[in-house]
Amino acid sequence: MDCEKILNLFRSELITVNVGPKLLATSLEMQGYKAYQVEWKPMAGGDKEMQEILTLLGGVD
Amino acid sequence: MTIEQRVDAANAKVLEIMTKGHPVWVDVQPAIDVIPGMTKTTILTPGPGITPDRVTPPQRTSICGAAIHEGLAATREEAWAMVERGEIQIISSQTMNTGNAACMVTSASMPVIIVEDTTSGGKGFAPIHPGGNPKCLRWGLYDEEVENDLRWFRDVYGPALGQAVRAAGGIDVITILSKTAGMGDENHNRQPAASMCLALQLMPWLLDIESDQKNAIIKHFAANDRFFLHVMMAGVEAIMASCKDIELSTVMVGMGGNGVDFGIQLAGTGNRWYITDAPKINGTFLKPTYKESDLIGYLGDSCVTEVWGLGGMSAIAGPAYMRLTGSNYAEARNRTEKARAVSLGEHTFAPVPWEDMAGFPVGVDARKVVGYNILPISHGGSALRVGGQGGAGAAELPLGCFKEALRGIFAQAKEIMEKEETK
Repeated sequence: MDCEKILNLFRSELITVNVGPKLLATSLEMQGYKAYQVEWKPMAGGDKEMQEILTLLGGVD
Repeated sequence: MTIEQRVDAANAKVLEIMTKGHPVWVDVQPAIDVIPGMTKTTILTPGPGITPDRVTPPQRTSICGAAIHEGLAATREEAWAMVERGEIQIISSQTMNTGNAACMVTSASMPVIIVEDTTSGGKGFAPIHPGGNPKCLRWGLYDEEVENDLRWFRDVYGPALGQAVRAAGGIDVITILSKTAGMGDENHNRQPAASMCLALQLMPWLLDIESDQKNAIIKHFAANDRFFLHVMMAGVEAIMASCKDIELSTVMVGMGGNGVDFGIQLAGTGNRWYITDAPKINGTFLKPTYKESDLIGYLGDSCVTEVWGLGGMSAIAGPAYMRLTGSNYAEARNRTEKARAVSLGEHTFAPVPWEDMAGFPVGVDARKVVGYNILPISHGGSALRVGGQGGAGAAELPLGCFKEALRGIFAQAKEIMEKEETK
């Protein structure tokens, strides 16, 4: 089985994509690693009632 | 069609009315003659409807002052007793297509600016801006001097402005906004350019009016760089008159505070208010001795300008105002971008030159405010508990009223679905 491709991935520079709270990305950056932050928040700040309403009414990508 | 598709279609309809609206100031007449439903004992108040026991002190002064001005009562005590007994009815002005800024109220004989949306045919109303004197009913102050001013507005100034604007064949609000694009107005708390442009258009007609007080009239009018605000408020009300009761629409069509509650209206449920506690306006105090506890909560309908994409929504168009809100140019841009993130469209009549000619965002969608948790900002002036203006600044629109509003549209959607299932 050719594992070379996956091994190349592990040998290459580590770049982390961090989704949500930035704390993890910041600590990786402080250790010298690259991190890309994806700005993401749960719909309606996590309010379950509002999420149910918005599921019906739509309008939020 | 799914409910989401129907909401989107309803919102598109509202947005079309908002963006194609063409308000024209057509006249000034006594409120009772032109505001549908107005009676001799009606007093229109800003923000959501409120019961007498919750009315704030400066608002109470304005209501009592208006009652005395109308000859309904001889004293404040008598006036307030009539309000408590329901003999004088206090009604939310935006439910009658009228905007009252700050502590202002509208009573039967007061002259009101009439603006017509020549696209949709809706009419909106607002009292005339009182001018530079800080002692006025608009800031919850009433005495003999204020009463004399109210009489002069009713008997002299209002009829003269009406005469001039009729002779001019109306004043086109969109033309004023277009010509003053890039002149630094955000058109809620700062409108010197628009007021001057309006004065330029009306002045020739004021010079021709028949009045033995022509000089006094022209001096009062020309010295008021905030005159345009109340014309604009009536203009927004004219447009919103045609946006209300478009079933399932989640677009905001009304907004205001009564000092205790802050509320919004959505197109889908028309004049129904969705309320939460009124925020305070943070910014600059007019005197260094004032402190936050001297202020009451958001009071006034002037934020209808934000409903139509002005003020805090177009903060980047008038960045100089940011100093009064304790902020800077970057925050002005941030405010407009936040507004853009939760709005469905953009005005095209007044592009902002330093923003690559982008227009102001318009049509706030409550779904986006709640879904993205992004709160637009309203600019505004703040009232002192004892009456008078305390300062000017900005307030984040409270999330609570948007959540409540979505519950209202959700209930409407459920009702529609149930009806269709039973068919």
